[in-house]
Amino acid sequence: MNYILKVENIFYSVLQKNEEKVILNNISFELEKNSVLGISGESGSGKTTLAKILAGILKPTSGKVSYYFSRDFNKVSPVQILFQNTGEIINPIREVGEMLNESLRLGNKNNIEPTYLDTILDAVKLSKSLLQRRGYELSGGEQQRTALARILAVKPELLILDEPFSAQDYESQENFLNLFLDLKRNFNITLICVAHNLRLLRKLTEEVIIMYNGEIVEKNSSSKLFANPRHPYTKFLLKAEKYDLKYEDIITFPKG
Amino acid sequence: MLNVLLSKVSIIKNSERIILKDIIFELERGNIYTILGKNGTGKTTLLKSLTGLLDKRIYSVKGKVLYESKDLLSLEADELQKIRKNEIKYVFQDPVNSFDHLKTFSYYFSLVTKDQEEINRLLDFFLLPEAKKLFKMYPYEVSGGMAQRISFILALLAKPKIILLDEPTSGIDAPIVNLLLIKLKEFVGDGNLALMVTQDLDLARNASSKIALLSDCTLSPLSSPEEFFHLNNIGTQV
Repeated sequence: MNYILKVENIFYSVLQKNEEKVILNNISFELEKNSVLGISGESGSGKTTLAKILAGILKPTSGKVSYYFSRDFNKVSPVQILFQNTGEIINPIREVGEMLNESLRLGNKNNIEPTYLDTILDAVKLSKSLLQRRGYELSGGEQQRTALARILAVKPELLILDEPFSAQDYESQENFLNLFLDLKRNFNITLICVAHNLRLLRKLTEEVIIMYNGEIVEKNSSSKLFANPRHPYTKFLLKAEKYDLKYEDIITFPKG
Repeated sequence: MLNVLLSKVSIIKNSERIILKDIIFELERGNIYTILGKNGTGKTTLLKSLTGLLDKRIYSVKGKVLYESKDLLSLEADELQKIRKNEIKYVFQDPVNSFDHLKTFSYYFSLVTKDQEEINRLLDFFLLPEAKKLFKMYPYEVSGGMAQRISFILALLAKPKIILLDEPTSGIDAPIVNLLLIKLKEFVGDGNLALMVTQDLDLARNASSKIALLSDCTLSPLSSPEEFFHLNNIGTQV
């Protein structure tokens, strides 16, 4: 197997009112190069914390994350994360072109390919006319595309998407889904997507991890997991998506 | 009779841009209505216009919103505020920031009711921490999903006749959406009415009595979920 990432026995805990609270409990998995992994599960089950650890933003309390990147980056991390769009992912007063050029310089110190800007604009379907606009002049979707273009400029090998669909309408969700699949194909990027929406994950991912209460309760190929969920919590999540649960069904799995 | 009638409501922004044009629809008690539409089509603006929540310096609203034989759009500010407090509750999108971050939740609950038992019942139903703990917390200490449930509970506690919901499921997971839906159905079952805007097509399909689509400044006629998804080619792709 050609892995890009190996996660071994990750624990993460915080001190809350002098008590240790375990956020991630013994997380282990491997990720193959150029694949798409989905992470879903309960709100507050540690999905975003895990994403941040994988991106190197947080250090795990214990455990090991090994990366197997093909190129050596000195300054810019080959793991990039597209944060949840809250309207704050782009500096409102800077010009889009200026932000992208800065990232291009960071990512390609010695030889900036003059056509690479066009390539990434094309990939995220941003029009060149937006380069003169400032952050505040962009719609939510344009902000997200700009953030994505900025990430592509530094040529990541592993891209983590944190709830990339939550601020999107149903049509944009579909467009973004296809855009991510194109990135995987054309830029040889491995993707991890954290999302609540199992329906979109089904279309995007090859493998899915379901988390509950800080643990991985199920990991399987998307086709198997969605067709034959094994863990009771996965079954519960899939059933819940139909929005016809009775109260008795819901309280079987109280919030952690 | 608890009906709401929108008669030719138009909304213009900065006296030049038409956001909505001649919106007409009638809402009857006992129902959940849903407005669907892409980002930026004016769903939130429409919802806000119903109880005069739009900034008058920016938006001009024409037409009538008839509720209990009153036109909400021509009411005096204090009368409208009374209606917003007691009869038509609005649950905002981005619930965390709809609270003042320097006030604990006890403040918000004390504004709407003294009925501690009812509060506990609802907190318990929505799988939230008990009142003793929650009341000491500040809005920035809870997750988006928790804030969403708290906003909804606060709206219910006011015992309104109408609840307006703006994207009630953004940021909450499917099991909790089920809880919300059970309560919302109970609420309209008691003869009240709910109007929501959402991007969640499954919610629209499962919750609504009638659905309308907002696009190009106009609202399509209300139709049943079956009819709606048959007529409109949305949702099939996602």
